[in-house]
Amino acid sequence: MATTARQWLQRIRALELPERVRIMNVCGGHERAITLAGLRAALPDAIELIPGPGCPVCVCPEEDVYQAMQLALHEDITLVAFGDMLRVPVNLPKREIRSLEQARAAGADIRPVASPTEAVAIARADPQRPVVFFAAGFETTTAPVAAMLAEGAPDNLSVLLSGRLTWPAVAMLLDSEDAGFNALIAPGHVSTVMGPEEWEFVVRDHDIPAAVAGFTPESLLAAMYSTLRQLLEGRRFLDNCYPEVVKPGGNRSAQRWLEETLEVSDATWRGVGTIPKSGYVLREGLAAHDARKLYPSYEDPQRKRIGEMPAGCDCSRVVLGKIYPNECKLYGLACTPRSPIGPCMVSDEGACRIWWAGGVRERKAPEVA
Amino acid sequence: MCLAIPMKIIAINGFEARCEAKGVERDVSLFMMMNEDVEVGDFVMVHVGYAIQKMTPQEARSAWELFDEALGTGDIPLTTGDDHV
Ligand code: SF4
Repeated sequence: MATTARQWLQRIRALELPERVRIMNVCGGHERAITLAGLRAALPDAIELIPGPGCPVCVCPEEDVYQAMQLALHEDITLVAFGDMLRVPVNLPKREIRSLEQARAAGADIRPVASPTEAVAIARADPQRPVVFFAAGFETTTAPVAAMLAEGAPDNLSVLLSGRLTWPAVAMLLDSEDAGFNALIAPGHVSTVMGPEEWEFVVRDHDIPAAVAGFTPESLLAAMYSTLRQLLEGRRFLDNCYPEVVKPGGNRSAQRWLEETLEVSDATWRGVGTIPKSGYVLREGLAAHDARKLYPSYEDPQRKRIGEMPAGCDCSRVVLGKIYPNECKLYGLACTPRSPIGPCMVSDEGACRIWWAGGVRERKAPEVA
Repeated sequence: MCLAIPMKIIAINGFEARCEAKGVERDVSLFMMMNEDVEVGDFVMVHVGYAIQKMTPQEARSAWELFDEALGTGDIPLTTGDDHV
């Protein structure tokens, strides 16, 4: 019989824990599973579960959202994007068009899609009409975009790519003075695609225990238990608590499509800054499908300065695991899923949104000013 | 966007598969499954319309059960454009 969540909890409770252990996760799916299952309340007080940079919508640069909006408003094109992106507000005054959703209401042809294959179908349906696919996402989402390009996208389909790699953000945190965590839950489906080996640097170079987890309470608790045991016993290794789909080496054909169609480049993360080798751009040979090359006039470098989080929004510290969502002074007051101020309250993978959906209503005074 | 769900392959046509999970059917691309033998009846983990890995029927079933428990409904969270997760 597989170990149940209750049994994992008992095992964790039986450990003699140090005063404080901070376990970070870097995946919105993990944070959602943790919150929905109520794991924080079930675990001993010494264990803190920190949501880290796990939301691709949250870190998608404001200037990219702005560019997509301007494109849709001023060109005779169809813009398609993953549904979450549509409600992300850019930093403009309230009376102006501030999101793709508002641009759509103003008459722009903007459509939500759930898959790159839907973008292809929309492009095929009207071969004369240019279709731009605004694709933000981590490796698990970017690999299907790469596969779509490798398979051969229709001539009228281009991609405005905001793909990001997850591990460089974790590397950046670990290289900083205060990483803020001493154990890591590595993302399950990123590891399915890229291979769990990507996360070995965490244990090898930083002496931080790590375990890949799936999205069930069992798998998450198993990963937590593993990292706690590693801490207590002074051993370090990258554990795999999601062997069902996380195989050594990952998905080779996904990696092949990524390699063939995209190049890794330095990239801006909203609220964080530039992280070396953390983004994807289309390879030169695919320039005809690269919306950044086809519509360069909509790029606005000026926005890189104003493109941080909206005034008063603490999303950048939420994304880096420096504060909990309810430590933001706007949480639940000015900012709710109904009228979100920052991207972390928009996306289903944003920690603010997840906490609100999970029933966290009270605000908390920040521990450090 | 990282929410993936296990589905069962019910038909294959080239790189396209018709997949099913709990009575809901979807077209799924097999273009990232080049290095695997995939057949009708197999279970795959599906993310944004692409199969990302094969899994056993037992693993698929336990993942579904846990989705049900976590969400407290009989539905599995299939993504659609308007409610993208
Ligand atoms: S609660 Fe709203 S304003 Fe505060 S950090 Fe989250 S998204 Fe930003």
